[in-house]
Amino acid sequence: MTETKRPSWWPWLLFVWMVVVIWAAFYYAPSARGFKGESARIVFFHVPQAWVAVLAFCVNLVFSIRYLRRRDALDDARAAAAARLGLVFAVLATVTGSLFARVMWNHFWNWDPREVSIAILLLIYFAYFALREAVADEERRGALSASYAVLAFVTMPFLIFVVPRIYWSLHPDTIINTRGSIDMESRMLHVLIGSLVGFTGLFFWLYALDVRLARLRQKHQQRGEV
Amino acid sequence: MRASSLLSEALAVLGKEWTSELRSRVALNAIGLFALTTLIAVAYQIGPYRISEADRPFLLAALLWIILFFAASSGLARVFVKEEDAHTAKTLRLAARPAAVFAGKLLFNLILLLCLEALIVPLYCALMGFAVRSVAGLALVLAFGAVALASTATIVAAIIARASGSGTLFAILTVPLALPLLVFLIQGTRAAAQADAIAAVFPALRAIVSLAGVTLVASVYLFPVVWHD
Amino acid sequence: MPAAESLFWVAAVTIVIWAGVFFYCLGLARRVRRLEEGE
Repeated sequence: MTETKRPSWWPWLLFVWMVVVIWAAFYYAPSARGFKGESARIVFFHVPQAWVAVLAFCVNLVFSIRYLRRRDALDDARAAAAARLGLVFAVLATVTGSLFARVMWNHFWNWDPREVSIAILLLIYFAYFALREAVADEERRGALSASYAVLAFVTMPFLIFVVPRIYWSLHPDTIINTRGSIDMESRMLHVLIGSLVGFTGLFFWLYALDVRLARLRQKHQQRGEV
Repeated sequence: MRASSLLSEALAVLGKEWTSELRSRVALNAIGLFALTTLIAVAYQIGPYRISEADRPFLLAALLWIILFFAASSGLARVFVKEEDAHTAKTLRLAARPAAVFAGKLLFNLILLLCLEALIVPLYCALMGFAVRSVAGLALVLAFGAVALASTATIVAAIIARASGSGTLFAILTVPLALPLLVFLIQGTRAAAQADAIAAVFPALRAIVSLAGVTLVASVYLFPVVWHD
Repeated sequence: MPAAESLFWVAAVTIVIWAGVFFYCLGLARRVRRLEEGE
C-alpha cells in the first residue's frame, strides 16, 4: 500500500492559516451593514462549517457508491469516516447558525428553509449511524448504510435547491444567490474564502487520520486471521 | 429459465401479499386504527370551529399529513419485516426476481396507502370542516403523494428488515427522507384548499412527482443490493 | 472603546478554542503515526 507522503509541517501551516483567518474575521473584515453589531462575523465560521458538512456528505456518497461496486472494506471505512466528520460539522453549523439567529432575530430557530436543510442533514447522519449500529455483520453493514446514503443523497437536492426557490428565506442573498454572483464586499469575501480553505483543510486532515486508523485496524484484523 | 414475465411475477407477489394480509389484517388494522384514533382525538379537541379562517388551510393541511404519515409508518414496514420474522424471505428470494419482489411489495404498500387516504381524507374534511376548493388538485396530490411515500417506505423497509427490523429504526430512517416530501405534500394540500384552479397545486406536484421518480429509480438499483446481501 | 475591547476578547477566545482543537488533533496524529511506525 503506497502512503502519500505529506510533509509533517502541513498541520502547522493549517494552524497558522486559521489563526490569521480568525484575526482577519475580527479586524480585517469591515463591520457588516444592516447586521446587529459585530454578530455578522460569526458567518465567517458558520458558512464554512455548513459547506464542510455538505462536502463530507458528498465524500460519503462517493465512497458509498464505490463500496457498493467493489465491496472493499476500506471504502466503507472511508465513507463512515466522512460521515462522522460531517456530523460534527453539521452540529457546529447548526449551533453557530442558531446563535446568530438569536442575536439577529431573537429566536434560536426560525424554520427558514436553509435551517431546515441543515437539520435534515443532521437527521440523515443520525439515521446513518443508527443503521450502522443495528447491523452486526461488516459486509452487510457497509452495503446497507451505503444504500441509505445513496437514497438520502438523491432526496437532499430538493430541500437545498427547490424549497428555497418556493419559500422566502431568512438567509441573505449574499449566501444563496439566485443570480449566481457574489455580492459581498471584497474584504469579507477574502476572509470567507480563507476560512473556507481552512475548514476544508481541517476536514481533510482529520479525514485522512481516520482513514489511516481504519487501514491499521484492517491490517491487524488480517494478521489476526492468519 | 424464467417462463413468467416481470409483470406477472410482480402481480403474483402482490397477490400473495394481499391474500396473507386479508387473512391476518395486521397492517390494515394497525394503520386504520392509528389513523382513526388520531383523527378522532384531533377532531374532538379542535373540530371545525376552533381555528381562525386565515390559519385553516395551513394548519389543516399540516395536521392531515401528520395523521396520514404516522399512520402509514406504523404499517408500511411490515411487508419486509414479516418475511424475515417468518423466515420466508429465503424462499421468496428463490421464487421471484428482486425487481418483481420490490414491485409487488411496492404496489401492496401503495394500495394500502390509497385505501388509508380514501378512508381518512373524507372523514377528516367532514370532521374538521376542511373546505377544499380544488378537489381535483387534492386528488392529484394524494395520488402522487401516495406513490412517493410508498416508494420511500418500501425501500427503507427493505433496508431495516435486513438490519434489526425494529419499527423505531424504520421511523429514524424514514423521517429524514420523508421530510422534504411532507413539505411539498402539505404545501400542495394547502394550495388545493385555497385555490379553485387545479394549476395551483402544480408547483408542489412537480416536486412530489420528481421525488417519487428519483426514489423509484434509486430503489431499482439499490433493492437488489439490499435484498441479496 | 468598549466595542473594540469585547471584540478583542471574542477574537482571543476563538483563537484559544482553535488552538485547543488543533493541539488535540495533533496529539491524535502523533498517536496514529506511532502506531503506523510500530508496524
